[in-house]
Amino acid sequence: MSELVLKNVGKRYGETVVLERLNLTLTAGDFCAVVGASGAGKSTFLKLLLSELQPSEGTITLGGRPLPPEPGPERGVVYQRYSVFPHLSVLDNVRFGLERTHGDPLFGRTWGARRRALRAEAEALVDAVGLSAARDRFPGALSGGMQQRLALAQTLALKPELLLLDEPFGALDPGNKKAAHDLLKTLWRDRGMTVVMVTHDLSEAFTLAKRVLVLDKTREDPHNPERYGASLTYDIPVDNGLPPREAAPRELSA
Amino acid sequence: MKKLLCLVTLLALAPLSSAEERPTFRLAWSIYVGWAPWDYAEHTGILAKWADRYGIAIELVQVNDYIESINQYTAGQFDAVTATNMDILTIAAASGVDSTALLVGDYSNGNDGIILRAGEPLSALAGARVHLVELSVSHYLLARALEGLGLEERDVEIVNMAEADLVAAWAGGTVPAVVTWNPMLMQLKDQADTALVFDSSALPGEILDLTVVKSDILEAHPELGKALTGAWYETLAQLQGPERADALAYMASVTGTDAESFARQLTTTHLFSTPAEALAFLESGQPRAIMQSVAEFSWSHGLYGPFAPDAGFVGIRFEDGSIWGDERNTQLRFSSDILRLAADDAL
Amino acid sequence: MRRLLNLQPSKPLRLALFLAPLGALLLAYLVFSDARLAENPQDRLLPAFSTMGDTLLRMATEPDRRSGELLFWLDTRVSLQRLALGVGLGALTALILGVASGLLPLAGASLSPFLAIIAMIPPLAILPILLIAFGVGELAKVLLIAIGVGPFIARDLEGRVRELPRELLIKAQTLGAGTWQTLWHVVLPQITPRLFDAIRLSLGAAWLFLIAAEAIASTEGLGYRIFLMRRYLAMDLILPYVAWMTLLAWLLDYGLRVLSRRLFPWYGAAGNKR
Repeated sequence: MSELVLKNVGKRYGETVVLERLNLTLTAGDFCAVVGASGAGKSTFLKLLLSELQPSEGTITLGGRPLPPEPGPERGVVYQRYSVFPHLSVLDNVRFGLERTHGDPLFGRTWGARRRALRAEAEALVDAVGLSAARDRFPGALSGGMQQRLALAQTLALKPELLLLDEPFGALDPGNKKAAHDLLKTLWRDRGMTVVMVTHDLSEAFTLAKRVLVLDKTREDPHNPERYGASLTYDIPVDNGLPPREAAPRELSA
Repeated sequence: MKKLLCLVTLLALAPLSSAEERPTFRLAWSIYVGWAPWDYAEHTGILAKWADRYGIAIELVQVNDYIESINQYTAGQFDAVTATNMDILTIAAASGVDSTALLVGDYSNGNDGIILRAGEPLSALAGARVHLVELSVSHYLLARALEGLGLEERDVEIVNMAEADLVAAWAGGTVPAVVTWNPMLMQLKDQADTALVFDSSALPGEILDLTVVKSDILEAHPELGKALTGAWYETLAQLQGPERADALAYMASVTGTDAESFARQLTTTHLFSTPAEALAFLESGQPRAIMQSVAEFSWSHGLYGPFAPDAGFVGIRFEDGSIWGDERNTQLRFSSDILRLAADDAL
Repeated sequence: MRRLLNLQPSKPLRLALFLAPLGALLLAYLVFSDARLAENPQDRLLPAFSTMGDTLLRMATEPDRRSGELLFWLDTRVSLQRLALGVGLGALTALILGVASGLLPLAGASLSPFLAIIAMIPPLAILPILLIAFGVGELAKVLLIAIGVGPFIARDLEGRVRELPRELLIKAQTLGAGTWQTLWHVVLPQITPRLFDAIRLSLGAAWLFLIAAEAIASTEGLGYRIFLMRRYLAMDLILPYVAWMTLLAWLLDYGLRVLSRRLFPWYGAAGNKR
């Protein structure tokens, strides 16, 4: 597993500064949650880590190498919605990544023994997230919680170095959310991957993550609100099990 | 029910008749060199003058689709219409709309023709794909041309094509043969790669351009026939007189061409310029032979509908009172009563 | 008394309301047809139903005097074949162009405005150009239909591809798919049911272009027969043909709907979630 390092990263659109002066080091196996108000740049932050957007300044490295300029299998992502392919069955959704990365270069298909091996691997993952009974159903026929479990299995099939979660459980009801949290914790402990989760739900952040990062604006220009962007203002270590408020916040920048 | 319909019709016409005490008649015409004099007659007031003389009103309506004008006449929208002898026979008369050919205006004397690629003789028609408006006068012309060659219709392949598209299709280069009428024929003739191998001048008098009135209306209102006849021959007289240049220019403009090409189309149109000429044609007995040939063509091509037992299904009454075909189903009449008055200058 | 906008028809009333306008239309036809026929037994404008039935039966069961063919079935077969070829060709081209334009910004930069302009050209207005360029054979007819429906479908699909959640395209890339594999495994399967929808929507226009094409130059076909018979007002044949074409159009639409449901069982379910 590899280290994720952001050095002085900023993102601007013309005159509008969204993010500025981001500095962060995540060690392998870290689980950090990024919180912040709406419009604080949480999703821009995630898009930078996915390479869906390129930083306007600064550098991001993963495992000591610059982040690839396009999304790729070294980073997995689970969104709040549209994370799974509606036209593929549960099992085929999980097989998708395995087939593409092991298949022929043109169509990304495998044959014979390898195909059977990948299928067995995918079936094991489907079992691991508790969807064996729904293996041949389409996502449209699954509940929201089941869809997100499927999304996790689909993403984890490729064992990404970095797992990015974008409000993954935001649309779930409390019961499903709790179950999904438990599953995510188990998967994270078993696999020791690095996780960055963007959420607006503080309690979720403090329940799941080892570190909670806060995105906020540190400078305001009342005449030109777009002049300054958000930055990482707090980096709060969470001792799992303790209520969040008792953790001592450490200020990163003023 | 019939009474109800009459009532509805009366109510619909009421505003017209109350505004204008005298009876109003509607004549439909479509753009063609042989019928352009009607528009000129209205333009110059000749038509209104003759209508006034007989205490009636005549409304001239231009219908842009020729077949549609006959269809609407047949359906009852018009009292009179301009049409060829074949179309009035197969559309109106065969539908039981008893019609009288009031005016025999002209016959096509080269206005209809068969075009092949340059250098091809007429006999090259054998086996060719021939593009034409099926079941029209062009079709009849082709049948007559094939007859002359000793061929039959099954010896060629007939492709139906709207007249407006024929010129463009010919320009595409894949069409070996076209049968059409003016002004399309003239446009085709003017192109380099064409040979006019047959035209209607070989069939003098067979393709007649008529002005037709419903027989019952003509019987009830002979003044309509008289007014139309008077206006028509006064207009034709102007075409021969000092007004000729103006008249040609006007008719050219309403038919969408220039005076020179209109004059060219006129040379392939044999106009019966005076009542005497038309009368002579009617009395010659030629109409009987022509109509018989047209009726046989129409019947053999199914134009009389599925229930016509033979070519004589529609009875045709000629100037001398003789009838060809089924007397009980006489639906087309050639009459010279009013024409005689015109010839005697008694209108 | 409940408000009008809250009143729902009961089952029998719904049936009655469905039949009422059709019944009124038929009744009006009968009344006017009888009136015209009473006045002139040879009237062709509004023939009696028995006459139409006889004519249709004759066209469907008696070989034509000249060609020896059963004209009704010949016309139907030829027209459906032209329709299928034209719509098929148009849809296939539209699928390629629409997907390329919607998915690839480089292709879209050139195709998107081009399609927008092309879709505005009324194909019937450029008929002479088609005739000169492609002749008057089957090719021109099929192309007229294809050109008539293609740009519409292409623009629709372009929009549908752009509507695909961005998340799915990113997701496919994080799962190891490149451009071609994303196209093949994600975009095409999801756009195909929408292609079916677009084809169903464009079928009305396709019939229109078919009839127009058959009016240009033909030796057989449903539109050809109608135009030919119009020349002598044979409504006893035209009206049954029009009814038959309406039925065929409805059957095609229904068939496509059923086929789409069979082929893409996930489509409706996923659509409801959105």
